[in-house]
Amino acid sequence: MLMDFARLGWMRWLLCATAGACTLFLLAPLVLLIALSFDSSPWLQFPPPGWTLQWYAQVFHDPDWLASFITSLEVGSCVTVLSVLLGLLCGFAITRGQFRGREILRGFFLTPMILPSIVLGIALYSAFLWLHIAGSFAGFVIAHLVLALPFSVVAITGALEQTDKSLEDAAMLCGAGLWEARVRVILPAIRHGLFGAALFSFLTSWDEVVVAIFMASPTLQTLPVRMLGELRQDLSPDIAVVSSLLVLATALLMGLAALFQKESAR
Amino acid sequence: MADAIAVKGVRAAQAAPPPPAPRRLRNGFAPAVPGLAFLLLCFMLPVLALLLRSLTQPQWGLQNYAALLATSTYANVLFNTFAVAGLVTGISALLGLPLAWFLAVAPRFWSQLVFGIVILSMWTNLLARTYAWMVLLQDTGIINNFLIWTGIIQNPLPLFGTMAGVVIGMVYIMLPFMVLSLRGPLAALDASLFQAASLCGASRVQAFTQVFLPLLAPGLAAGGLIIFVMSLGYYITPSLLGGAQDMMLAELIAQLVQTLLNWGLAGAASFLLLVLTLSLYAVQIRYFSPRRGKEG
Repeated sequence: MLMDFARLGWMRWLLCATAGACTLFLLAPLVLLIALSFDSSPWLQFPPPGWTLQWYAQVFHDPDWLASFITSLEVGSCVTVLSVLLGLLCGFAITRGQFRGREILRGFFLTPMILPSIVLGIALYSAFLWLHIAGSFAGFVIAHLVLALPFSVVAITGALEQTDKSLEDAAMLCGAGLWEARVRVILPAIRHGLFGAALFSFLTSWDEVVVAIFMASPTLQTLPVRMLGELRQDLSPDIAVVSSLLVLATALLMGLAALFQKESAR
Repeated sequence: MADAIAVKGVRAAQAAPPPPAPRRLRNGFAPAVPGLAFLLLCFMLPVLALLLRSLTQPQWGLQNYAALLATSTYANVLFNTFAVAGLVTGISALLGLPLAWFLAVAPRFWSQLVFGIVILSMWTNLLARTYAWMVLLQDTGIINNFLIWTGIIQNPLPLFGTMAGVVIGMVYIMLPFMVLSLRGPLAALDASLFQAASLCGASRVQAFTQVFLPLLAPGLAAGGLIIFVMSLGYYITPSLLGGAQDMMLAELIAQLVQTLLNWGLAGAASFLLLVLTLSLYAVQIRYFSPRRGKEG
C-alpha cells in the first residue's frame, strides 16, 4: 500500500504536496537567477520592471570576466590531462597488481575526497608560500589535481574491473608487450571510464572555489574566485548573467550525459 | 595454427628464466608510483606540516589547543558549527524522505521530471546557488516582500546574515544528497510487505511508522551522516549568508589565516575539524558501507 501510488489514499495528497513544495524550493532559485539576468533594473527588482540584454553585453565585454573564464579553462584542461594519466596508471596498479596492500592503496587514493577543502586549502597555501609558488598557475593545477585524482581513480578502476584481464593476456600472447597491449587493447575497451574520469576531473576543477581562494592572486583568478570576489562586494546583475550561463551549461551537460548513457547502454 | 602459436607462447613463458629484478618491482606496483608520490608530496606532507605548525607556533606546546577549547569566542564557533550541521541534517532528512518516496512511487513522467530538477540543482555551480539565496533572503527580498504582501508578517524577518539564512541555504545544497542516499533503500523495499501489513490490519500510519520507517532507517542514517560531516566543514555558504556572530569552524580557519596570520591556531582548528570528520567517516564505513549492507 505504501509503495503503490494508486493505493496511498490520503497519504498521496500529503506526499504530492510535500514533494511539490520541495521541487519548488529546488527549482525557484534557478529560475530566479535566469529572470534576474534579463531584469532591466540594476537593483534586482522582482518581478522585473522590464527585460534587457544589457547585462549580458556588459559581461561579454568585460576583459576581467573573460580572463577568469580562460584561466578556469586552462587550469581545468591541465588538471584533466594529468588526472586521467595518473588515474590510469594507478588504476592498472590497483586492478592488475599482485602486491600486498592493494586495498589500502585504493583507500589512500580516495582520502582527498574526505578532507574538508578548507584544510587542504590552507595546508597547500602554507606549503606554497614556503616554496614561493603561491598564486602561480602551477599551484592551481597541483591543488585541483589533488581533488580531481580520486574521481579519476574511481572511474578508471571501475572500468578496468569490468574489462576481462584475458584480453590483455591474449594480446600479449599474440606478441604485444605489456604496455602495448594495455594501450592498444585495454584503452579502447575502457573509453567510457576514461571519458567519465576526464569529465569529473574537469568539473571538479571548474567548480572548485574553497581551495582556489588560497591559490589565487589578484592577477590570476578562476571564474569561481572572481564570482566570490564580486559577491563579497555587491549583488550586481553581472553575477546573475554568469550564473545563468553556468545553469545553462549544466543543463546541456546533463542532456549530453543522458544521450551518452543511452548510447553506451545500446 | 593459432593454437600452435599460443602453445609456443605459453611454453616460451614457462621456459623463460626467473625474473632477475627483485620480486616487489615486478608485481605491478610500479604504475602506482607517480600518483602515490604526487599525493604524498602534494597532499599528505602539506597537511602534516600544517598540523605540525599547530604544535610549534609560536612555540612548542599545546597552547593553541588550550586557546581553542578554553576561549569563549571559539567555543561559540564550535557550538554554531554543530548547531547548523545538526539543523541542516534534520531538515534535509525531513524533506528528503517524502521527496525520495515520491520519486520511488510517482508515475514515470513526474518522477523523471522531479529527479531531473534535483540533479540540475545539485550540479549547478555552488556560487550561483548561493547568490540566488543572497537575493531571496534580503530584508527587501522576494521572500520577505511576499510574506508582507500576504499579511502574514508586518516587518521583514531577519533572514540574511543570520543562522536561519545559513540553514536555509545549506539545506538547499544538502537536500539532493539525502534524496540520492534514500533512492537505493527505497528501490529495495518490497511492496508486498505493505500488503502483508495491511492484511494484518495495520492502518497506513501504522505501516508507515512500524514497517516503512524502520526499513529506511539505515538509509536515513547514512545520508544524514554524510550531510552532517559535509556541513561541519562548509565554508562558502555560511560565510556569504551568515553574519559575524554565526561564524562556523571553516570560516574561523580562513579568518585566522587570511586576516590574523595566526597559523598555529589555524592548524589546531584544522586538526579539530579533521579529527571530527575522520571519526564520523569511520562510523560511516563501519556501520553503513554498501558492502556491509549487501552482506547483511
